[in-house]
Amino acid sequence: MAQVKGKKAGFGAVLWDYLTTVDHKKIAILYLIAGGFFFALGGIEAMLIRAQLAIPNNDFLSAGLFNEVITMHGTTMIFLAAMPLLFAFMNAVVPLQIGARDVAFPFLNSLGVWLFIFGGIFLNLSWFLGGAPDAGWTSYASLSIASPGHGIDFYAVGLQIAGAGTLISGINFATTIITMRAPGMTYMRMPLFTWTTLVAAILIVFAFPPLTIGVFLMIFDRMFGSNFFIVEAGGNTIIWEHLFWIFGHPEVYILILPAFGMFSEIFSVFSRKRLFGYSAMVFATVLIGFFGFMVWAHHMFTVGLGPTANAIFALATMAIAVPTGIKIFNWIATIWGGSIEFTTPMLYALAFIPSFVMGGVTGIMQAAAPADYQYHDSYFIVAHFHYVIVGGVVFALLAGLHFYWPIMTGTMLSEKLGKLEMVIFFIGFHCTFLIQHWLGLWGMPRRVFTYLDGQGYNAANMISSIGAALMAVAVIILLINIIKTLVKNEKVGRDPWGDGRTLEWSLPIPAPYYNFAQTPLIRGIDVLALEKEEGDGTIPSAGPVEPIHMPNNSFIPFMISLGLFIAGFGALYFASGKPWAIDAVADLPVRPWALYVLIAGLAITFISMGVRSWKDDLGYYITKEELEADLRELEARERGAN
Amino acid sequence: MAHHEPEQLTETQLKYLRTERTKEMRIQMISFGLMIFLTFIAFALVALELDKNFIVPIVIGLAFIQVALQFYYFMHMKDKGHDFAKLLILTGLYFAIAFVVCFIMIVWIGNPI
Repeated sequence: MAQVKGKKAGFGAVLWDYLTTVDHKKIAILYLIAGGFFFALGGIEAMLIRAQLAIPNNDFLSAGLFNEVITMHGTTMIFLAAMPLLFAFMNAVVPLQIGARDVAFPFLNSLGVWLFIFGGIFLNLSWFLGGAPDAGWTSYASLSIASPGHGIDFYAVGLQIAGAGTLISGINFATTIITMRAPGMTYMRMPLFTWTTLVAAILIVFAFPPLTIGVFLMIFDRMFGSNFFIVEAGGNTIIWEHLFWIFGHPEVYILILPAFGMFSEIFSVFSRKRLFGYSAMVFATVLIGFFGFMVWAHHMFTVGLGPTANAIFALATMAIAVPTGIKIFNWIATIWGGSIEFTTPMLYALAFIPSFVMGGVTGIMQAAAPADYQYHDSYFIVAHFHYVIVGGVVFALLAGLHFYWPIMTGTMLSEKLGKLEMVIFFIGFHCTFLIQHWLGLWGMPRRVFTYLDGQGYNAANMISSIGAALMAVAVIILLINIIKTLVKNEKVGRDPWGDGRTLEWSLPIPAPYYNFAQTPLIRGIDVLALEKEEGDGTIPSAGPVEPIHMPNNSFIPFMISLGLFIAGFGALYFASGKPWAIDAVADLPVRPWALYVLIAGLAITFISMGVRSWKDDLGYYITKEELEADLRELEARERGAN
Repeated sequence: MAHHEPEQLTETQLKYLRTERTKEMRIQMISFGLMIFLTFIAFALVALELDKNFIVPIVIGLAFIQVALQFYYFMHMKDKGHDFAKLLILTGLYFAIAFVVCFIMIVWIGNPI
């Protein structure tokens, strides 16, 4: 920040800066830290699961606790780790890739991150307040209405708060990419990561409302006495399954599309080639996004929709393999004949292709509805979705962490430790999940807390648990790598990988808080590579140095989210012990203060929103003199470095 | 961001702007009249107590025309620069209809098909 330049800011000042920031680069750091924390939590839960299942008849975890652990593992990994970590990279990279000074709504960006953090904390507080949710991450209504205690309430309210943040961020990114591109950055010149972010943001806008509705119906049923899912009173639990999967299937594309985007960037940078078949890649991305909404019932083949409905959804599901196949071949063609550099991100990208294809092939197997009756609810399913989510999304997150680390922190992670981590993670991943395909086909059901000796599951489960431990070792190596790099703090300069092709690598590191002193002019696809070949490697400017309008920092997003967090506790305990409450919470002690907490929390939220609406905040201008001084200083610094 | 000073319009530009605005106003009035008329038809059909199976599809059809008029003429979807909004609204409409049809077929009616 220009304001604190030259002096060391105190801890309090830094903390306050991050609590109030609306700068997309700092919000990216917030997403990275919070998402990383939840990733670690989800990882610990995974280790507990594998420790419990390592040997038959184990009593390391009780049956009830095991249900809580698997539920929290799934929910945490999807909603609180994978999505926020993707948002971290989107925030750090997308505005820089399209030549924007910030996202379209910086205030909403900050609101999005705080809603996610408070929602995540709310969900995880269930561990200390009477037990975590235990109905699986899908929380099917027949289980969740019957689940005693407040566990499911934490799931419903926590996801509602975090989901609101995600929806807000989705709207924000769609608007940013549509309206804030630099002159010359046409749609068909956008880098693939920007394209996939755009499609994922649009998917969020369409997919999250069904989840919001489903979760609201669940909240009303469990906390306020309605009967949407309560069969005795005329409700229908299948409605939850449909609403959940209308959201849930696009959700997996929301996760995988930005991962595809990141890999596309990595392949082209480290093959020193333009991405093969760019327009086909864009077309495939959009097509996957569209088809993603037409296939949700393939999660429900065994519900009994009937053979015609099953056949329609089976066919639509298989159709998705076509655009995905186009992508796979384009990536291979990008590497083909390229000048390949085996860096850590590139190794992850190369490992991703076979791993993800294996997950895709088992996906097609399950798309065949009659066969799915065999696979349903077995370890085969567990193996399949871990192959696509770990082999696709988590590989991308780790690759992206190494790849974009210089942009986010100004330092470079150690390549030696990075490659070690990659190899161990890759081996651990296949060791854990490959054998689970066979476990499923041999008949081991998913979501069971133990199995008997002598059923032939012993060796396979042991292998799987050893693999999980290897993955944990890899993540610990990554942590050591991060700490070592941050302590050493060796700053790198512009374009640290040496082969950056897109606009974000043209910026000085760290990028100034206004990103671009002058709006860049985009002359073609892969603009930095183009300027390196045809010009002097600098991006031409679209206009003179002009005063820049900037938004002020704001503490209001934190307060809005805090209000909802407090109101959540009021809603959660509202039904405790009331005569009209569902059986699950009817026997709990009455909490007379619940209504007042609910009202107080909502009051904090609405008063904060009122302050935002009625008190004008016009932002401030960075003067031309300040910008020119910054540019001169940057020039002096870079000349000194060379 | 630079400040945009209001530009001085020439005589011809001013005239052009005025004709454009008159045209816009006329379109707004026509579509408003049309929508009142469509509403009147719907009310009349119900008031005449015709067969239910006859009224329901017609009223739903009229509702779709209403929605289209609303979007295109009152909410300016016909104007330039609304391509992305149009695309998203139409896609969203398509998804929403698909979901509603699905809920009617396999949840509400409930017979396996």
